[in-house]
Amino acid sequence: MLDMFTQNINPYYLQVANLLGIYIILALGLNLITGVTGQLSFGHAAFMSIGAYTAALLTLKMHLPFALSLLAGGCVACIWGVLIGFPTLRLTGDYLGIATLGFGEIVLVVFTNLQITGGAIGLAGIPRYTNVFVVYLLVAITVYCMYRIQYSRFGRALLAIREDEIAAAAMGINTTIYKVQAFAIGAFFAGLAGGLYAHLLQYLNPNDFGFARSFEILNFVVLGGLGSIPGTILGTVVLTLAPEFLRFIAEYRMMIYGLLLVVMMIFRPNGLLGGVDLSRVIKRYRSKRLERASARSISSS
Amino acid sequence: MMRRTWWLLAIAMLALVLVATGCGGGQADKGKPAQEQSATPSGETIKIGFLGAKTGNHASYGIETLKGMKMAADDINAAGGLLGKKVEIIEDDHRSNPSEAATVTQKLINNNKVVAIVGDPTTGITKVAGNIAQQSKVVLLSAGAVGPGVVEIGDYIFRDTLLDALAAPAVTKYCVETLGWKKVALVTSVNNDYSVGLTKIFKDALAKYGAQIVIEQSIKDGDQNFSAQVTNIKQKAVDGIVFTGYYTEGGLFMKEVRKQGLKQVMVGGDGLLSPKLWELGGNAVEGSMVYTGFYPDLNNAGEKTKAFVQAYQKANNNALPDMFSAQGYDAVMLIADAIKKANSADPSVFKNELAKTQNWQGVTGTISFGPNREPVKSPVFLLEVKEQKWAVKAVIPVTAQ
Amino acid sequence: MFWQQLINGLTLGATYALIALGYTMVYGIIQLINFAHGEIFMVGAFVGVLAITILKVNIFVAMFLAMLVCMALGVTAERIAYRPLRRSDRLAPLISAIGVSIFLQTLMTVIFGPQPQAFPQVVEDALYKLGPVQVSRVQIIILVVASFLMVGLHLIVKYVKIGKAMRAASEDYDTAALMGINVNRVISFTFALGSLLAAAGGVLVGMYFNSVFPLMGVQAGLKAFCAAVLGGIGSIPGAMLGGIFLGIAEVLGIAAGYGDYKDAVAFTLLILVLLFRPTGLLGRPVQRKV
Repeated sequence: MLDMFTQNINPYYLQVANLLGIYIILALGLNLITGVTGQLSFGHAAFMSIGAYTAALLTLKMHLPFALSLLAGGCVACIWGVLIGFPTLRLTGDYLGIATLGFGEIVLVVFTNLQITGGAIGLAGIPRYTNVFVVYLLVAITVYCMYRIQYSRFGRALLAIREDEIAAAAMGINTTIYKVQAFAIGAFFAGLAGGLYAHLLQYLNPNDFGFARSFEILNFVVLGGLGSIPGTILGTVVLTLAPEFLRFIAEYRMMIYGLLLVVMMIFRPNGLLGGVDLSRVIKRYRSKRLERASARSISSS
Repeated sequence: MMRRTWWLLAIAMLALVLVATGCGGGQADKGKPAQEQSATPSGETIKIGFLGAKTGNHASYGIETLKGMKMAADDINAAGGLLGKKVEIIEDDHRSNPSEAATVTQKLINNNKVVAIVGDPTTGITKVAGNIAQQSKVVLLSAGAVGPGVVEIGDYIFRDTLLDALAAPAVTKYCVETLGWKKVALVTSVNNDYSVGLTKIFKDALAKYGAQIVIEQSIKDGDQNFSAQVTNIKQKAVDGIVFTGYYTEGGLFMKEVRKQGLKQVMVGGDGLLSPKLWELGGNAVEGSMVYTGFYPDLNNAGEKTKAFVQAYQKANNNALPDMFSAQGYDAVMLIADAIKKANSADPSVFKNELAKTQNWQGVTGTISFGPNREPVKSPVFLLEVKEQKWAVKAVIPVTAQ
Repeated sequence: MFWQQLINGLTLGATYALIALGYTMVYGIIQLINFAHGEIFMVGAFVGVLAITILKVNIFVAMFLAMLVCMALGVTAERIAYRPLRRSDRLAPLISAIGVSIFLQTLMTVIFGPQPQAFPQVVEDALYKLGPVQVSRVQIIILVVASFLMVGLHLIVKYVKIGKAMRAASEDYDTAALMGINVNRVISFTFALGSLLAAAGGVLVGMYFNSVFPLMGVQAGLKAFCAAVLGGIGSIPGAMLGGIFLGIAEVLGIAAGYGDYKDAVAFTLLILVLLFRPTGLLGRPVQRKV
């Protein structure tokens, strides 16, 4: 039944849709770290690569079921998130960003030199288990989790840390523990997305997870609006589809992409949906309509 | 407040348009499985896809391959086309990004309905694309992949490159037995899959023919400073340097070697084969050796090669073609000949003809596909840089192992 | 051999330092990590090649032209892409800078093609023996030009009026503005100065390694940025120290046989330094205010 559905869709669109879903999961994870908690991370691709290699190796060498490989990939990335989080989260602001950037580059170098990951030659022959249903099921789960996290007591504590770390600490929030937790959750989802990515492309190469990829994910989050879940998703959609739609201008494509980043930031410095609360927008519309309706009924009477 | 709402509306509209165009395209294909469509080329042309990078890392390989492919298409069309149709090259850029390469491959197969894809010039991305082409039953012929694990993907996957596994041992034998190399330095570019693969082959070959690797050094693609590695090599007495990376680093590396006063020459694979080698390396690469399956030697070349080199020079300011453009040319010609022989542009039909190719004369020499579709190309040219030009040092025949 | 490697490291470090200074000065004033700075360096190298091959000028005139072009480029980029974002979230100009960087990379790829361009041979290769080490003429030029520029920068920042204004703005942006300093002019000047140094670095690196290509700014920019942070971002002597420290550490790392892990060496060092000195070697400790 499900196969019938996918067979009738052009695989090109499916491929783009799959990548888009994976990017959404990555971006939502980073949004929790950078958008909600305010901790700058330039090394998100490293967690993605850890998840990707873990899941791929478990599938290839241990023949674990896909779901377990994915979960293990997420967990290993999560563990690394904690290990990295504890020492580096002492740093603040840009220094933290730089430390995570350094971590990302170190992971890259390690994967380039490891035997088991195939080094620079890469890891090939990973079975293609990822399909559009798995991806979007996980996207749905991620979105749900992110909403639950953001609007819980925990999420409000994270927001407090972003707004003012000292005040948050003064209010009795153990900022280090909270920051590490946010880091760990973000890393977990990055690992999950990495596992999906590995089983989609069937081939992994360390060069694919450099800092360019980390910044790409950061672009999604910042362009969408820091801290906003719909914004992050929108930013991801726009920036993933834009290069595809710009294919017709060939070599000039990435030039336009660069300009697009500049122009969008200048016109929406807080991101496309930054500072926009969707539920409030809807409410405002309703109340306006009610006002107008009542005004009309008064004037007609 | 109103401004914000307008923004939201505009964004929502944009998203809708994006989604609508996406879905619209998808619906148009409904009812007919994508594979069936790609198998029977629609329209007046036979489409061959180009897969490679036109921007970003490795863009020069992609651009050269594409030049050769276009020349092949022009030649075919000038001679009356293929099965009464024109050949059209469909090109797209993937920036050497594996995920984007997968997307481009899907687009070429499903939207452009190509019958064959030529590319990618690098092994890693060929593997990504190969899986997709095999599943979609479209022929993929790589004009550059040399690493292991490519044709193993399946019966639609081919390549027309000189395999290092055959060429490097032949060249090693020559270096050890004819040039008398006993102690060598081995330099690898660790983030370059081609280089890592070639290093493995050279190590086995050196051991087999009794030469000793006295020092191993690592560099990285994109590095410009090799002073530390060269200083390390300087401490050992070596007869020669085996360099498995690409020409950019090769030229700069030799420059540093001479700068530090060393006299040795290097030998490497066709990753070094480009005039850029001496443009970057200057006199420092004088005497260095490179093996290749293609050499534009106008004095000794066959008719096909001569015509190709002259046409290329005419179109490119007298620049000589490199192996990527030549292999790109041959790739399109191989596919065209298979289509002609099969009298069908259906990949599932002409792939069998392609697999039967034996002693096919191309611009890059003679190509035969073995039973596993691995190419055997003969001969190997061992070239030497002489006064900033290639000169043939030895022509070594290659036979399948 | 150690001394030889030290000279190699010093030359490499001097070029890192030249680029790092641009990062550090801009950061000192507007807290922006200018990710397009590596691309300014790349453009500088290309202008140098063009000046030598087309205008047939000598290396120093070429460097001067590259500096002029890059100053204009740096100031324009600031005007268009960063100034409108000065009062917004810190990440907005960062993304804008990434956009500028992607734009310039692709622009140069489209114009010049992706292949490396050979830098014309303008300086005769010659080796000088200094005790146990050999120094090439190019290395000497790099070290001399880099030190000359750094001393010049130091004098400008220390004694010239606009340099003092720069320091004031980096100390406290708002107060400086209230004291009648034209902060916009100071920021433009900072970008001009930083781009000038990067352009010089580009020409020197092009000459040293004899190749210039559109993506050369990525790795160099990243390393220089690391150097700036290592020294304490915002601190001008810190950037010089950080650059030279990183260059030497990297070369000695390779010399010790860790070539495979060369980049990891640089970044591990960076993280370690940050853990023990969270604001870099010469950075001032951040005061946390409520």
